Order: sequence, then structure tokens, then C-alpha cells
Amino acid sequence: MSDRKVEQNATLLALTSSALLLPGYQHAAADAPPDYTELGIRYSQYEEDDTKSSKTFGGASERYEIGIAQFHLLAPVSDDWSLALDVQYEDMSGASPWFVGESLGGDPKVIMSGASIEDSRTDVSVTTRYYYDRGNAGFNYTRSEENDYESDAIGLDASFNDSDGLTTYSAAISLSKDDIEPTQGSIQPTNTLKDEKDIRSGWIGVTRIVSKRAILRFGLGYTYREGFLTDPYKLNDRRPDERSEWAISTGYRHFFVESNAAIHVDYRYFDDDWGVSSHTVDLAWHQNIGQSSQLVPFLRYYTQDNADFFANLEDIEARYYADDYRLSAYGAFSAGLRFNYSFGDWRVNLTGERYRTSSDWGVFGGEESPALVDFWRYGIGLDYAFK
Amino acid sequence: MRFAFVLCVLGALSACETVQPWEKGTLSKKEMAWEPDVMEANLRGQIHASKEASSGGTGAAGGGCGCN
Amino acid sequence: MRLFRYLLISCLCAPWVHAAGVAVGDNAHSVILPNLPDNGATTSLVDLRGKVVYLDFWASWCGPCRLSFPQLEALRTELGPDGFEVLAINVDEFEADALAFLEETPVSYPVVRDATGATPADWGILGMPTGFLIDRQGIVRKVHQGYRKNDGAGLRVEIVSLLGE
Repeated sequence: MSDRKVEQNATLLALTSSALLLPGYQHAAADAPPDYTELGIRYSQYEEDDTKSSKTFGGASERYEIGIAQFHLLAPVSDDWSLALDVQYEDMSGASPWFVGESLGGDPKVIMSGASIEDSRTDVSVTTRYYYDRGNAGFNYTRSEENDYESDAIGLDASFNDSDGLTTYSAAISLSKDDIEPTQGSIQPTNTLKDEKDIRSGWIGVTRIVSKRAILRFGLGYTYREGFLTDPYKLNDRRPDERSEWAISTGYRHFFVESNAAIHVDYRYFDDDWGVSSHTVDLAWHQNIGQSSQLVPFLRYYTQDNADFFANLEDIEARYYADDYRLSAYGAFSAGLRFNYSFGDWRVNLTGERYRTSSDWGVFGGEESPALVDFWRYGIGLDYAFK
Repeated sequence: MRFAFVLCVLGALSACETVQPWEKGTLSKKEMAWEPDVMEANLRGQIHASKEASSGGTGAAGGGCGCN
Repeated sequence: MRLFRYLLISCLCAPWVHAAGVAVGDNAHSVILPNLPDNGATTSLVDLRGKVVYLDFWASWCGPCRLSFPQLEALRTELGPDGFEVLAINVDEFEADALAFLEETPVSYPVVRDATGATPADWGILGMPTGFLIDRQGIVRKVHQGYRKNDGAGLRVEIVSLLGE
């Protein structure tokens, strides 16, 4: 039978943006491979602001500067299959917080890692996807390699369109086996020489067409991490060897015909057994300008509570301890702008984003970390469709 | 069960309009996709996961990296 | 998953009820619609009685439709002299989108437009595109949902067979 390629609703398929589900298949017909092969390349760079001199021993210090090259290929293989290949190469250099100490004035100040750290990461991800009458299913394999870290992950996902023509149910699972082997030991002592980490994750979601202009989704995910979860490079870091995380998410898309624009609203609530919980709100306005241009301003607010064992100054008695700013309580705003321009089968895009953090912007109270990070991000990309 | 409650309320508010197969033109626009730009979404997801204590929500976690 | 389903179904909304539609073996329903581009005239399905007709419901936003147009055009060029015709019914919400599609993918067979959705509802369309192969007597002989790269060859065999009846 060749009656499968029925365009129901392209957006129904696009349920996830996770590393697990990489393809851009949402642009194509529902439950059929994309009509043509798509290719994309991107180069992005982000630069973390220097640490503040008032919060750093030895004065302001530079932090990371990271360059990221991305390659994406999505190709129909037959009437029922597609294949996606994603490759990402990152190059990072700079310094990162080593530990937090008490200044003469009694304030916590951060000590940076000193000499410049150099590392790179290569991430290769392959996804095969099978399209059946009422949905599609994908299998993904991802390998990530760094000097000091290796990860092999597999993932499975499936979606199913309800006969009401309005609802899609989805589910995904993933397994990852990671190896940690710190290599920067010549610079400073590390917390382990060789260790392992496993990540197991599951997710379910439902997408619903609300009207001919709007669509709504919900998702519920659970992730269990086990193994060496301590940061190998942070001096006094010692964390539990298990972590259970829950994330609830909802998203809404609405198209305004008069404005020729779509609004994107996303919210996530996150909670884990380390005491971290967080709220994330993402807003984006996709404004079409004429036939070929698009301007997308976006805004994000994030706030998290600190982990139970977070403190700036070490409590030697405590079983678990971290002064990592990423486990402190704070709030973060980011704002950015993306511009897309299409000509023929080509599309260029430019992106800029500013990310800023402050303990004053958080909704959860807690000790302020002296090492909170701000950064700028810029990106340029080119996409091609073999139409 | 807070989630189930939210789901039901929003579902009740929203689920009452029938959209026929030939009425899905707007919904199939690229800018109405959950992630119109997959590479951008992957990049942002990864950057945020490396700087914040939270991750996930819209899929399974996948693999880890030395960045967090 | 069951919980989700239950909650959604329980949310007091009318189920998606389908009009009876048109199935294989049924008489073709009446179609009289304005031409696209609009030239003030209409085209009627019944005027094509005596021909084998492929009635094609399409929209500009439907990817497979883009695939089907050149193939239907080729079939019509080849088999038109033997009595084959295509009638394409556009169901776009905005006429400009449909016209832009036709400019990119021009065809010589008649194209009409239903802006109200009454015709696809009457024929019971479940997905885009959907084609109905109608014999010389006006009886629907095949319902073809969706469209794939290799569908043209299969369709040709069926059309030739119906032309020979």
C-alpha cells in the first residue's frame, strides 16, 4: 500500500529538541520521510565575561571561550525511512573556577584554575527513523569524545497519532555510558583518575492541536544519573553518586495571520533529589518579513534553587559539598535575536545572544556564588535543501 | 499530580475546537514547529545544561559530556 | 500514557465526527466550484461524465501535493486523448498561497477552489492530499490517500484499465 504519506500536521511530529531526537523532520509531511535532503552548517562562538575583580583572588580573570562547529544532514532513504547525521566539534580554552575561599574581609572569593585549559569535544550522532501509518519511531546512537571524557549513548523514541487527528502521543528512552579520565592533573590535583557514569532517561509527551492557529504540548521526563557525579577539577567538590531528576514541560505555539508571525511559549519545571528545583520560561516571536526574511527575537528567564550541599565556604565535616556556581541559587535572563534569509534553496542565519546571571534575580533565596557566569554568543549558519 | 491537574485544566480549555485535515495549513508552517531550527535548539540546550543545574523536559536525556 | 489519554478524552469535547464521505463503489458527489485562478466561471464534475477522472484534493502547504502535480500532469498529457482528466480542488485557506503554488507548479488540467471546506467535508477527506479515481459512469473506483514518489506508475495502470472498460 502506498497510502501512507498523508500530510496531517507537520508540527505534530516535532515533539522534542533533545540531543536524542535530532532530525528536523518537523518540516516535512507527518509520518513520511522528508521530501528532500537537508544540509546545514553552523559556526558559533561564545565568550564568558571575565570574573569580577572584587570576587576573585588575584583580580579579574578570563573565563572560557568556546567555538562550536555544527553539521546536520537529514535525508530520506526510502518511502519509509530517513537518516540523520549530526556532527558537532567544540574547541574550548580559558580558565574555570577552581574553588571558593574566604577573603580577608570575610567575603567568599573564587580562585580560578590558573593556566589556560584547552580541550575539544567531538560529538557524532546518527538517527534512523521509520515512518508508519500512524506515527514514526527513531533509533539514535551518539558518541561524544573529549580529552578527559567519553560518552556512548543510545536512544529510542516513538510517536503515535490519535485517530481524532488532533492528538499525538510520544515516548522516548535513552541510555548512556560515560567514562571520565581527567587529564589536567599536571595543572592541579583532580578528584579522580578514572571513573564512570551512567545516565538512564525516559520521557512521555502529548501534543494537541488546539485550533487551526494553535498547538499545545506537555511532557514529563525522568533522568537517573549514577556514578562519579563529582566535578573532577573542582578542589573540594564531593557529590552524591546518584541523582534523580524530574522535568515537566509545556509549550504553546500560536500563529497570528494579521502579523504574519508566530509566538512560541515554553515553560519547564525541574526538580531533583539534590535539592535543586528550577523554573524556565522561554519566549520567542517568529516574525516573517516578506517572502524570504524572518526576524526572531527571543527571551529566556531561568531561576534555580541551590543544591542542599552547596556552600561557598567548605564545611569539612559535611559528607557532600560543592562550591560550584552551577549548584547555587540565582536567576538568569537571556535575550537574543536571530535573522534568517532564504534565497532559492539556500538559507543563511545570524544569531546573537546575551546571557546574564544574578543572585538577585532568583525567586529562591540562597547564598550568592562569586563565580556566576555571563556570556555573549554569536552564530552564523548556512542551510541547503536538495529540492 | 500537579501535572495531571494542569493537563486537565488546559485540556478542558483548549480541546474543544475541531480542526479538519484541510485546515492544517497554518499549523504546518515551519515557524509553527516546536523547534523550527534544530541545530540552534540543540546548541542552546547544551549550553544551558553546561551552565545550569537543570536539563531536559522535551525528550530523553541522551549522553553526557565533561561540561557539567 | 493511559492517564493522559483519559484526561484528554474526558475534557468534554465533541469527538471528531466525520461526514459519511465517499467510498469505493459510491456515486461521485456533485462538485461545482469556481475556477482557480478565478475567471468568473465554474467547473462541474458532472460535465466530465464519460471520462475517467482523478479528483484531487490539494493544498499549497502539503508537501506530497508538490510531488503529485507534475505526475498527474504527465498522466493527463499522455492519457488525455483516451478520455482521462484531472480535476484538482484547492482547499487552501488563503487564495494567494494557492496561486503562488500554481505559479511554481503549473498544470494544464482544470483547478477549482473551495474556500469553505464544504467539499472536502462532503467527500470525507482524512488527510492531504486525497485523490478519487472515478470511472466513466461516475462511480468512485479508488481512494488514493497521500502521495509518494512512485505512486504515478501504479495510478497509470489503474487509469489505463478504467479507460479500457
